[in-house]
Amino acid sequence: MKWKTAIMMIVACSATARAFESLESDYRTNGSLMHAVVTRANQSLQEFSAVVYDGKKEIGYGIVITEDGYILGKWSELKNAGALSVRVGGELYDTVEISAQDARWDVCLLKIEAGGLKPVVYADSSDIGQGSWVVANGATSRTERRPMIGVVSANSREIRAEGGAVLGVEIKEEKSGIVAGKVPEISGAYKAGIRDGDKIISVGDREILKREDLVEFMKDRRVGEKIEVGYQRDGVDQKTLVELMGRADTFGAEESRNDAMSGDVSKRRSGFPRVIQHDIGGTSKTVGGPLLDLDGKCIGMNIARANRAESYAIPVEELRQISQALLDQAKK
Amino acid sequence: MRDSFAGNCKMKTTVALLLLGLMISAFSQDANRLSVNDKKLPVGSDDMRAIEAALKSSLPAARNATVCLELAQGSGSGVIISADGLILTAAHVTGGVGKDITAILADGRKIKCESLGLDSETDCAMARLSEKGPYPFVEVDRADLTKLGDWVFSLGHSGGYDKERGAGVRIGRLVKIADSTWQSDCTLIGGDSGGPLFDVRGRLIGIHSRVGANLQQNMHVPMREFLRHWDEMLKGEFIGEGPFAKKPKKGSGFLGVGTEETAEGKLRVTKVGRESPAEAAGIKEGDVIVKIDGAAISNKENLQKLLKEKAADEKLMLVIVRNGKEKEITVRLGEK
Repeated sequence: MKWKTAIMMIVACSATARAFESLESDYRTNGSLMHAVVTRANQSLQEFSAVVYDGKKEIGYGIVITEDGYILGKWSELKNAGALSVRVGGELYDTVEISAQDARWDVCLLKIEAGGLKPVVYADSSDIGQGSWVVANGATSRTERRPMIGVVSANSREIRAEGGAVLGVEIKEEKSGIVAGKVPEISGAYKAGIRDGDKIISVGDREILKREDLVEFMKDRRVGEKIEVGYQRDGVDQKTLVELMGRADTFGAEESRNDAMSGDVSKRRSGFPRVIQHDIGGTSKTVGGPLLDLDGKCIGMNIARANRAESYAIPVEELRQISQALLDQAKK
Repeated sequence: MRDSFAGNCKMKTTVALLLLGLMISAFSQDANRLSVNDKKLPVGSDDMRAIEAALKSSLPAARNATVCLELAQGSGSGVIISADGLILTAAHVTGGVGKDITAILADGRKIKCESLGLDSETDCAMARLSEKGPYPFVEVDRADLTKLGDWVFSLGHSGGYDKERGAGVRIGRLVKIADSTWQSDCTLIGGDSGGPLFDVRGRLIGIHSRVGANLQQNMHVPMREFLRHWDEMLKGEFIGEGPFAKKPKKGSGFLGVGTEETAEGKLRVTKVGRESPAEAAGIKEGDVIVKIDGAAISNKENLQKLLKEKAADEKLMLVIVRNGKEKEITVRLGEK
């Protein structure tokens, strides 16, 4: 996206001496009185959304998917937590295990020791039309999640990885061929064992002789794909399976003007096969919970706070599949 | 006798129009008003559904009229308000009068567009699509029917045009009404500037201008500010000395030609600067400049005097003689 080409002025809102009328904050779109208007969605939030903590710090939200304590969360926000605990309703659970994850969708499956939880109620379809009301969690207290309202904002669509999908090696073009420069520790390549100085010989079924060969091969790749990489170290040929990540997620990205306007956004906010876009605000810490319709049914899972005006959710159709696959993976 | 009759007739019409005006405003106050707007809060899902239904039925037409405006310095948004392609946008988007803009319609069509007048004090601006149309357009709320607390929605090409996404819709309420600025809690971001704010019936009520740090601080210019200077802006006037656009400085315009006065008392081009505005417009060495913007030119002094009054980005209409034939050339001045 062309963030750098965006015009919008930020001004300090100074108090003005001129007369104006103002709506009391309780009555505003996400004022404190609005929860009474969306009672059914509010009830769902209290029943099957979860709050995830690292120690005392709130780091994300989740969706309860089984009565015995399996919960979906946003993987990249939770994976580095030291002391995970989870709250469902008013109850705090401090034995939490990460049982499975899906790097492509950035979703993980948590397990708490619980019984008799009310699991998520899925809507039949996420295709409720632009301009339809949606509800998600905002802030939370010990006993209650606060509902926030908004609308479906745009076409459901793929969000390509910012800067494309990458193996995660800086490329040096040397006489001998393509050689790995810096390999960041978080990258797929590093995790697959590739290190600085390895010569890249092949990706998939393609031989790599020059930079363009690699660029060409990577052009239409997606985050989460696993690619076999042939490399040479100390004269010995080796093969490994590398899971692709987004360029910005691997190497970092410069903050744009719109980012500066957006505050705390999700670190991973691109590289999703399909999302619903909505306008409910929040921070990187309010993501992971359910996106609900006015009947309190789950039409998706909030997966990224992209910027000041845009939030993304995984549509319920895909969410059901992801959740089933993660459960299968966990119970194996 | 005839004159007085005409005068009399005019007066009658004026009175009738005034009365008609009063009647229209008296009746139209609630003709199409969503009843939920008169409640402090929606009551239950029926009210919520009523807001949603109104928004959903207004959205397709509103979206079709919302355009992305691309300029050299970045991109903003705008909205078409007539079938022949008049666009309302923000002054800080167009940045001046007579600027070349590429408008991208909702369906992806790219159409050349030129900025008309602007009000640098309030952030109002107009532009016009160069092709004839007809274009999809929205109705302007000229009667100023919107009240504090009304449900509203915003559209805009946040972060630039994205065909797969389309213009994003955001819902909110009108939360503050001040003199020349309205505030809503429809969140805006870069690229939305100049885009439309609608009431839930799909009538245009404001143009996005700026944001504060808080998500609730999204500022729009109300239609009444546009209506105040409508005709001047249509005529291409640069109004005020406010912060939203910088007035071009007289004498800052650059043409890029060297000239000599001929024995016959004419002004001939002896040199055309490389990559100069003159070269871009197709002026050639040996051309004789006869007229600029209708004024006769016969010596260097004429030309210098004329250029002193012109600013960067202004357009000049030149009449030149080349190989014995008269030719019209339009030049957009560069910056000195």
